[in-house]
Amino acid sequence: MTALKEVKVALAGNPNCGKSSLFNALTGLHQKVGNFSGVTIEKHEGYVDYRDYRIRFVDLPGTYSLTAYSPEELVTRNYLIENSPDIVVNVLEGPNLERNLLLTTQLMEMEVDLLVALNMFDEVQAQGIEIDVKQLQCLLGCHIVPTSAKKKQGLDSLLDHVIRVYEKDIEVKKNKLAFRPELDRAIEQITELFSHEPELGKYNLRWLAIKLLENDKEVYNVVRQYPAWVKIELILQHAMRETEAVYKADPEIIITEDRHAFIRGAMQECMKLPRDKKQSPTDYIDLIVLNRALGLPIFLFVVWVIFHMTFTLGTPMMDGLDHLFGALADTVTSLLPNDTLRSVLVDGLIAGVGGVLIFLPNILLLFIGLSFLEASGYMARAAFVVDKVMHRFGLHGKSFIPMITGFGCSIPAIMATRTLKSRSDRLATIMVIPFMSCGAKLPVYVLLAGAFFRPAVAANVMFGIYMLGIVFGLFSALVMKKTVLKSESEPFVMELPPYRWPSLRSVLVQAKNKAMMYLKKAGTIILLAVLLIWTFSNYPKNPELDVELDRQIAVIEQTIVDEEQKAHAIVEAENKINTAQLEYSLAGRAGKLLEPVIKPLGFDWRIGIALVTGLAAKEVVVSTMGTIYSLGETDETSSELKTILKNDPAFDQATALSLMVFVLLYIPCVAAVGVMRKEIGEWKSVAFYGAYALSAAWIFSFITYRLAQLVV
Amino acid sequence: MLLSDLRVGDKAEVTGLLADSSVRRRILDMGLVKGTRFKVLRVAPLGDPIEIFFKGVYLSLRKKEAAGVQVQKKGDVGDGMPIGSQRSRWRFGS
Repeated sequence: MTALKEVKVALAGNPNCGKSSLFNALTGLHQKVGNFSGVTIEKHEGYVDYRDYRIRFVDLPGTYSLTAYSPEELVTRNYLIENSPDIVVNVLEGPNLERNLLLTTQLMEMEVDLLVALNMFDEVQAQGIEIDVKQLQCLLGCHIVPTSAKKKQGLDSLLDHVIRVYEKDIEVKKNKLAFRPELDRAIEQITELFSHEPELGKYNLRWLAIKLLENDKEVYNVVRQYPAWVKIELILQHAMRETEAVYKADPEIIITEDRHAFIRGAMQECMKLPRDKKQSPTDYIDLIVLNRALGLPIFLFVVWVIFHMTFTLGTPMMDGLDHLFGALADTVTSLLPNDTLRSVLVDGLIAGVGGVLIFLPNILLLFIGLSFLEASGYMARAAFVVDKVMHRFGLHGKSFIPMITGFGCSIPAIMATRTLKSRSDRLATIMVIPFMSCGAKLPVYVLLAGAFFRPAVAANVMFGIYMLGIVFGLFSALVMKKTVLKSESEPFVMELPPYRWPSLRSVLVQAKNKAMMYLKKAGTIILLAVLLIWTFSNYPKNPELDVELDRQIAVIEQTIVDEEQKAHAIVEAENKINTAQLEYSLAGRAGKLLEPVIKPLGFDWRIGIALVTGLAAKEVVVSTMGTIYSLGETDETSSELKTILKNDPAFDQATALSLMVFVLLYIPCVAAVGVMRKEIGEWKSVAFYGAYALSAAWIFSFITYRLAQLVV
Repeated sequence: MLLSDLRVGDKAEVTGLLADSSVRRRILDMGLVKGTRFKVLRVAPLGDPIEIFFKGVYLSLRKKEAAGVQVQKKGDVGDGMPIGSQRSRWRFGS
């Protein structure tokens, strides 16, 4: 067999043009997801073997234009310049051709080897829209292939055309868009000056000239170091004066207007809309979904459904996985002797891997839901409905769903912020999420509120804690948007795409990709951290305590005859020794070290240990307290622990309230921190956030403790 | 007149842009250039943002951003309700 010839193809197109569906239909499961270098924008790569060729596709981010204002657009055009793919396939949304062609004109300006996929052609036909493909080909100077990713039509034809363009069997004409004479003249002059600079070889010189007239900062930074810049600047100023005088607008506006004029001309020549155009289903659906009275209730219902799908459906699976790992741990325990290896395997590795995998069902379910909302067109509408409230706090309409998801678990919630396009909006949302009380904090609240308050009051206490989280989270967003994240504010100019029934395959592939990303990137950080915390709470060991335990067990064996009593006594002895070991370990020492710092909050060193180990996962606070109070395995319903806490002189209502506030606000669990690091892309912001959360936790707990002491 | 001054159901034509840099660019790229005719479809349940329709595009923008678009009103009030029989008289983007 001869080696396959490699063809590099980039897919470019507007958001919602069906580009990703086409990518999925073309490459099937031969794909991987990564990031474009330096930014957290997803890069989907895949390939298909067709005839004697291996055609490699890169799915570029969906963009309307190729300016330097948004990271997506920068990534797209930099990719085209730096990686110079053999062919660029511009995917167009057939029924919405006019708006889609703006990007096409800009790709034409870059003079790439262009091929157009006229996607959703089945819908074009169904709506009775007539498109003169031949004529449009003449105008654009490149071949156009009608496709339908959903019905898998025209895919082979597209691949055929890709190969024919690659083999130079089809010529790409690279037509030049004409601008108004004043600008065309300036473009020509600047191009001529650039042609004396051999270093600009990788760029298309005419494109550089157009971008300069459009006042493009990136291009400006590239070219201003060349000696020709002095002359170019004069040409630019001249062009500016001319257009201002003649058209009363700057070149940037004129260029865009000319592109639109070309498109409008092309549309008039090549497209005929049906004479009596029917109202589209989108018009009717939005009449209800975006109705002034019904819009909000419908939105809240959708959020409720997503939330329940993720957690009501996901929790049993989560428990199942938990049991599975529990069983695995038990098996290993029974097979291996009681030594360090067993401890590493069972308490470190299995617990660690389990701690990573346990979130998978939630992540999968949430992303199936979110992908569906996104692909169907509802996500943009959800943002439209709640934007006003969120905007008050400096957030975006799209921040709402991730925030709500945070009540279940921060991890999928933080990953869900990817639907937000602006980095500052994403950062702000990510930092709000951990203040929403997640499912793992609930056991702590249940235990403490249950132990120290009457049932009726306990409910109010829990409600208060939840509210404190929400209020403080939104307040934090507002403060951050006004200070650290001030410079980058994103305009809200957003398309509401027509409703479409998403393909099941696309939705599932997206959810799968998210899950893989979580496992690969966040999973490693989480696993490491869990192992680290395990080491902290186990080492150094005090060998004398082990000897002591053996001695005590020997005594028990001899003195107690009744089997049941004997077992009970042994467990009790083991717990006592375990507590002593924990006290001796690094975590225990950290707890003691922390005591002076947390004393003002009403906490002693034992709570300190619980807070340290609670970094592994918040519910561990409860089980650690169980260990410290020598109870062995404990959960929040354990009445024994409740009684012990109640009778502990160091513990009262004020301490309980203070501890609840602290658990609500302090650093999120390592899994969440790992995902945060992954999504933000750098440690600095994560560290800043950790410091912020810790100081907030300390201050609020202090206030709570002192106030509660006065009142209670 | 500014886009933000229009009411639901109004039809208008873009006459100029006041907004600057990134906002202006975004508006231009979405196709709201001089001469584009659009109608105001609706206001969000909480009063902001608004939704307009032109050339097959449903676009939402906050009132703050809408205040950067100069427009001239065309047709009668209520001419451009989201769904109505008036539409056949006057087609967008033509």
